[in-house]
Amino acid sequence: MAVDARVFDRAGATAAPATLSADAWQRFRRSRLAMVGLVVVALLVIAAAGAPWLAPADPAKQSLIEKRARPGGKFILGADEFGRDILSRLIFGSRVALLVGGLSVAIALAVALTLGCLAGFAGGFIDVVIMRIVEILLAFPYLLLAIAVVSALGPGVLNTTIAVGIWGAPTATRLVRGAVLVARDSEYARAARALGASAGRVLIRHVLRNVLPTVIVYSTLFMANAILVEAALSFLGLGAQPPTASWGLMVSSGRDFLLVAPHIATVPGLAIMVAVLGFNLLGDGLRDALDPRLRGQL
Amino acid sequence: MLTFVARRLLLAVPVLLGVVFVVMLTVELIPGDAVALMLGEHATPEAVARLRDYLGLDKPLMVRYAAYVGHLARGDLGRSIQQNRPVVDELADAWPATLELTVAALVLAAAAGVAAGVVSAVWPNSLFDAVARVGSLFGLSMPVFWTGLVLIVIFALWLPWLPVGGTGSLGHLVLPAVTLALPSVAMVARMTRSSVLEVLREDYVRTARAKGVAERLVVSKHALRNAAIPILTLLGLQAGQLMGGAVLTETVFAWPGLGRLMVKAIFARDYVLLQGAVLVFALAFVLINLAVDLAYGALDPRIARQG
Amino acid sequence: MTRVRFAFAALVALILAGAAGLVAPAPAAAQKPGGTLTIVRPTDPVSLDPQLETTAPGAWVYFNMLEPLLTIDEKMQIRPSLASSYEVMSPTKVRFKLRPGVKFHDGTPLNAAAVKFTFERALRGTPPARWASLAGPLAGAEVVDDLTVDVTTREPYGPILRTLAMYCTGIVSPTAVQKMGEGFSRAPVGTGPFRFVEWKTNTHVILERNPDYWGDKALLDRVIFKVVPEEGARMIALQTGDADMVLLPAPAQLPQLKRDPKYVVHEVVGGRVVFAGMNAAVPPLDDVRVRTALLHAVDRKAILENILEGSAVAARGVLAPSVFGFKDMQLDRLYPFDRAKAKALLAQAGYTPGPDGVLQKGGQRLSLSWLAARGRYPKDGEVTEAIQAMFKEVGVEAKVQFLEWATVFTQFRSAGFKDHMFTLGWVTSNADADYSMYALFHSKQIPPTGWNTSRYSNPKVDALVEQARRNLNQTEREKQYGEAQDILAREMVWIPVYNTKEIVVTRAGVKGFTVHPVEYNLWLGKVWLDK
Repeated sequence: MAVDARVFDRAGATAAPATLSADAWQRFRRSRLAMVGLVVVALLVIAAAGAPWLAPADPAKQSLIEKRARPGGKFILGADEFGRDILSRLIFGSRVALLVGGLSVAIALAVALTLGCLAGFAGGFIDVVIMRIVEILLAFPYLLLAIAVVSALGPGVLNTTIAVGIWGAPTATRLVRGAVLVARDSEYARAARALGASAGRVLIRHVLRNVLPTVIVYSTLFMANAILVEAALSFLGLGAQPPTASWGLMVSSGRDFLLVAPHIATVPGLAIMVAVLGFNLLGDGLRDALDPRLRGQL
Repeated sequence: MLTFVARRLLLAVPVLLGVVFVVMLTVELIPGDAVALMLGEHATPEAVARLRDYLGLDKPLMVRYAAYVGHLARGDLGRSIQQNRPVVDELADAWPATLELTVAALVLAAAAGVAAGVVSAVWPNSLFDAVARVGSLFGLSMPVFWTGLVLIVIFALWLPWLPVGGTGSLGHLVLPAVTLALPSVAMVARMTRSSVLEVLREDYVRTARAKGVAERLVVSKHALRNAAIPILTLLGLQAGQLMGGAVLTETVFAWPGLGRLMVKAIFARDYVLLQGAVLVFALAFVLINLAVDLAYGALDPRIARQG
Repeated sequence: MTRVRFAFAALVALILAGAAGLVAPAPAAAQKPGGTLTIVRPTDPVSLDPQLETTAPGAWVYFNMLEPLLTIDEKMQIRPSLASSYEVMSPTKVRFKLRPGVKFHDGTPLNAAAVKFTFERALRGTPPARWASLAGPLAGAEVVDDLTVDVTTREPYGPILRTLAMYCTGIVSPTAVQKMGEGFSRAPVGTGPFRFVEWKTNTHVILERNPDYWGDKALLDRVIFKVVPEEGARMIALQTGDADMVLLPAPAQLPQLKRDPKYVVHEVVGGRVVFAGMNAAVPPLDDVRVRTALLHAVDRKAILENILEGSAVAARGVLAPSVFGFKDMQLDRLYPFDRAKAKALLAQAGYTPGPDGVLQKGGQRLSLSWLAARGRYPKDGEVTEAIQAMFKEVGVEAKVQFLEWATVFTQFRSAGFKDHMFTLGWVTSNADADYSMYALFHSKQIPPTGWNTSRYSNPKVDALVEQARRNLNQTEREKQYGEAQDILAREMVWIPVYNTKEIVVTRAGVKGFTVHPVEYNLWLGKVWLDK
């Protein structure tokens, strides 16, 4: 068993539970903000799963005569420019939000972790090549990327999400690589290697753990960006096709009415914010909970 | 270090050539022809064919690419298909505005973001922390046109302090820079908070504290120095995204920058103009990445040794 | 009580004022010269030379600097401009007498050689002008003497006069073109009431009064065309006074602007028809019953009222009313909004309701594919979505694919276009029916040759349109187009939705401005500022 300086933890802490996960869960539970995040995300998932039963009206049903109705009365959160119920569209839109936020982050991270670790660890020629590819991708205009993906795969939320994921990959790769570089040569890693741990174990246990916080924070922030990028692309006609409800598209089409019926764009915008906030708090909570340096601390 | 810089600049060349090629290839593969679009609904197929021939656009891709690179070596970026004007002139009209806006937004984002992040990290879970996190998330989640128009309504209509749009004075720069910087402030603040928190929990920080070093010194000398790397990476990347993502801000505030130019070029399939703009961005990215890597080296000598 | 007193006082004041007016001659609507007019619009021109630019952003500007031989007034009547008179010499030749003493902005004289130079450059330059394709069989111009020029066409061309009145056929100064070369496209030299000052790309174009103008001199000192891409920002600029005139204003704000005495909303029905097109070559739209049913399924009134909100008028046919040859197709009488009728027709065509409400026949769902772009024409995306929902109400499923214009354009132009429905707008550039009827409904104009995206083919209509194109007798042409539109009305391949309105909003202090049905004809020669 490796010598762990933290054996000398402060007295006065409650008796540390035996396993890491139980310990983590306890710490997580204690953070109020993290619990708020969990609740928000759970609500989102429930909304997405139970949309057909939760939504008060058909999200595609138009009633032109009631266009832009203010919130209150028949339309709890108001109606959009076609007289469609915003609340129902919001609930159905959570599906798109989860898809866009989740899948694009997953794609970006998959690429970033692979290439970033490779570049950071291997160094030398591989690092140079990967970083140059990253630079090419960074310079490539994302609108053109989206058009290319849509041309190849067809329009729609799924394909635009792929495009957004690819767009986010270079930035994430650089972040991961940076974190790997720092962790690779830290004293802890050197100590572990000196004690005989193989390079593989060093990578997994120390480096990845070091990378994780950066990755979590970036992912939760990237999600907001992803939804907004999908919004812009949908507005141009490359994303969600009608009558699909996507929060991003709702915000974009509300743009024309910002000065006469601001609720059309603002309500879905707030929904995006709440969702992003939830993921962020959850992410922060996860990161704090999983950090073993806090083991035994509150 | 000089060899490091020289090598990186040399490496920039394949990056630039690579980007140009990928852009050219992509425009070739997607539907849409610059000339047909330009001549519009009224053009006969013969007129389209004639113009394509005249502009040399019917030659195969590799031939055009080779020609482009050849011209590039002589500093000639070609002529915009749509405007029939040298790309260099088009870019010269637009890039100062982009530079101005990007720098302003980056400075704002860095200053506000790092400050907020540090305060949040030093007093985690405090009221300030909560307000800062939620507030910055608001700036990140609301789309640019929303924040932009709201700011215009407040500061140009209700309080006639600032102009509605366009360029000219420092007053013209304020609203677009703030609008553009807002999402970045959120990102930088969060990243700063996270990084600094990480570092504050490290052993050597606790050692410093145990040794009786003043908290302020702990934070600034030890914590920030080591937290700087991810923050710096992010700032470098934000600089790139501010440049490339400014198109919405430019639209809302009528800011005549490269973002709008690029979007117009993409919609018109004017790949010559597009490549010119992309080259400017690519060069900027290369230089920014270089600066960030140099900063890595300055902050953490262990990294400098590998380059 | 006070209201009555106030009214009485006002009445007295009015009487006194009237009396004063009778005694002292009132000054004529005091046109004050001077001042700068600031106009905001969404995009910057590509060029200020009609050779390279035929779209509105450039046309709005150069229309005040370059003048054609003839012009079209607000009542769509042909009027002399640089040509003071004309004479049809033969079916392929029209002789124009130019006004004497007219000078270009660079001081050189307007003469027949300049006209010939302009047309040569447009038709046979390298490359030819964008507007050459709009000019049909225009062949060129021949100099007869210094002030007389013959314009010739390769074959008899009915619309020739309207073509020569188009905004983009302005006569340019040969000296300037030869001296400036490419620079001409950024600083044109013509004969108009305004001349060029400066163009800062993507920011503004500035014009100033031409003191040597041959007609009524302009009243304004300067005109500044500013680029403000965001609609909301344009409207705010109007409110803060940063702008005096807004082009392409926000439809949603028009009702409140009309009620506000600080602003004037100028509007007139324009020349563009926006429609949902049906591809008659792809089943089931080859069945006229299905097409008729779709026409009955659309509540055009609801769309006009709620989506376009007064920024457009209901289309009354395939042409706009301002176009020569227009016939009101009585669409509301032939195809009124009637869901029951639509359902009945579809039942007649053999469709029965399926399990999820969508009609089906022989196991196949009535599912139509629809290709459209967003933002190309006002509210085109919203109109498409609204009609999609209306189709659903009668059991027709429409799968809409929105793509960006470049992709959509390419598909529309391709021979392999297989979608059922498409959204398109068509402006009759020379305000002559030939421009629309020939390109959109002649069987030889099926893509990729032309724009008959509906794949409409009727030999009778072909014959009528060809005859009218070659006929120089305008009365006969009108009758021929009327007949063609009657035939079309019975076998519609379009669902015409609206005619755009040309809408310009100005501050109340901007006087003397009349909006023109042709969107490119933004005439500022009579505008003055009452500040």
